[in-house]
Amino acid sequence: MRASSILIVHSDRKTQRTVQRVLGVTGRRVDIADDLEQGIQLLAHLSPVLVVVDGALSHNAEHSATIGKLIELAKERGAEACMTLLGSTAIAQMPALLRLGAVTNLLVHQMPILAEELTITAQKLIRRDLFGAEKYLLWGTELHETTLIRGSQRAEVVGALAEQVRAFGQSARVVSMAMLVADELLSNAVHNAPIDAAGNHHRKDLARADELELDARQQIRLRWGCDARYLAIEVTDQFGTLDRDTILASLAKNDVRESGGGAGMGIALAYRSCDHLVFNLAPGVRTEIIALIDVRYPPTERMSVSSYNVFVERPRGDDHTG
Amino acid sequence: MTTQAETRGRMTLAAVDDKLVLAGAIDETAVLHELTGRALGGRLVLDLAAITFINSLGVRDWIRMQAAAQKGNLAVELQRVPEPLVHQLNMIMATRGNATVTSFFAPYACDACGREESLLIDAIANAERLVKLDPPPMVCPECGAEMAFNDFPERYFSFLSV
Repeated sequence: MRASSILIVHSDRKTQRTVQRVLGVTGRRVDIADDLEQGIQLLAHLSPVLVVVDGALSHNAEHSATIGKLIELAKERGAEACMTLLGSTAIAQMPALLRLGAVTNLLVHQMPILAEELTITAQKLIRRDLFGAEKYLLWGTELHETTLIRGSQRAEVVGALAEQVRAFGQSARVVSMAMLVADELLSNAVHNAPIDAAGNHHRKDLARADELELDARQQIRLRWGCDARYLAIEVTDQFGTLDRDTILASLAKNDVRESGGGAGMGIALAYRSCDHLVFNLAPGVRTEIIALIDVRYPPTERMSVSSYNVFVERPRGDDHTG
Repeated sequence: MTTQAETRGRMTLAAVDDKLVLAGAIDETAVLHELTGRALGGRLVLDLAAITFINSLGVRDWIRMQAAAQKGNLAVELQRVPEPLVHQLNMIMATRGNATVTSFFAPYACDACGREESLLIDAIANAERLVKLDPPPMVCPECGAEMAFNDFPERYFSFLSV
C-alpha cells in the first residue's frame, strides 16, 4: 500500500519550510502547493492523509469559498482532516474562516509556528488516537481526576480546582480562566449531553440550579494537570452527542459579543477564555473537551484569538473520510 | 450601615451604606435582576471587588439586571470592578448596559521583581488618561519599582468606550 502523504498549501516559502520540517518527522511524504488553485490541482493526483492550509488565503469571499472547496476535495480524496494555520498577521481572517463552517482544525500561531501543537494535531489525526489530555502535556505531568455524581457538585469541584491551581502558584488571571472554562464545560456535560431513550436532550431546559442525581452513564469526568506550559482541563461525558456542526456554529457565534445570548454560549465563552480548545468526539459513546490555558506568557504576549480542533473518531474499519 | 450578608448560591450580598457589596461567583443562583428593587434614590451602586468569576448563566442574569435598570430609569454605578468582570464587559457588549464604571482593577507587572498584581484604577480621576489608552503609573508594592501595564490598553480599556 502506498504511504499516504501530507499536503501543505501555503504562500509563504519560509512557513512552507517550517511546516515541512515539522511534519516531515511523521515519516510521511510532504507535498507543497503555493496557492489554493495549485493545491486543488495536486489533490487530483494525491490522496493525502492530512492537508495543511494557510488561513490567510481566505482574505476575500472568493478565496474563502476556494478554501471550502479545497477542504471538501481533500475529504473526497480520503484526507483524515484539514488543518488551517492562522499567523498573527492574519487574525482578521478569523471570522471568515469560522463562517465557512468547514474548518475543523485551526491553529493560531506566532511565528515561528509552534512545532508541538502542529505535531500533536498531525499525530492524533494520522494515528487515529484522539483522546486524553496527556498528549498536550509534558511527560510525567500528573492529571488530577474527579467524577461528578450530582449536578450540584459543579460549584464545589470548580472551587476545589481553583484552590489547587492557585496553590500551584498560578496567577489570579489563570485561576479565573480555569474556573470559567471548567464551570462551562461541566455545565454543558451535565445538562446538554444526556439524551433519553427517544434521543431527546431531556435535561437541556432544566434550571441549572436544580439538583440532579447522575446515574452511571450521566456521570462526568473532570481531569486537569499543569506542566508549567499549559494548564489542561479535560471534561468527558459518556453520551457523545455533541456534533461537529454544533461546535462550529458555537465558535462562530457573533451574538455572544453583541448580546451574550443564545444556545452554545457556554462553549463560546469557554473558547474565548482559553488558548486552545480541543473537541474529541466519539459519536454515541463519549465527548471529551480539553481546554488549554497557556500559563507561560502575560496577556501582552498572548494571541488575541484561540486555536481549536474538532476530532471525530470513526468506527474501526471505516476508511471513508469523516 | 451594614446589613447581614445574604447568600445566593456561590455569591454573597450585603448592603453597606448606599451600596450593595457582592462577593464570590455570579452564576445561575445569583438572581441579579432582582437587585434593581434595592436601588436607592434612583441609583443602584454595586461594589464588585470580591467577585471571583461569572459564568455564562451569570452573564445572562447580569444582562437582565442591566435591562431592568434601564427600563426603570435607574443609574447603575459599578465600583471596584474585578478583572474577571472586566473581561466579560469587554467580550460581551450587552453586559455594559448604561452602567458607569467608577473604578476597576487592572493587571500590572513589575519588571524588576516579577510581581504581578491586580491594581485598582480610579476611572473618574484618570478619565482623561484612560480615553487616550494611557494606563496610570503604578508602583510595585514589593520593591517600589514602577510597574508596567500587563495587557493591551486598547483591549483592556475597551469597556470604557461604550
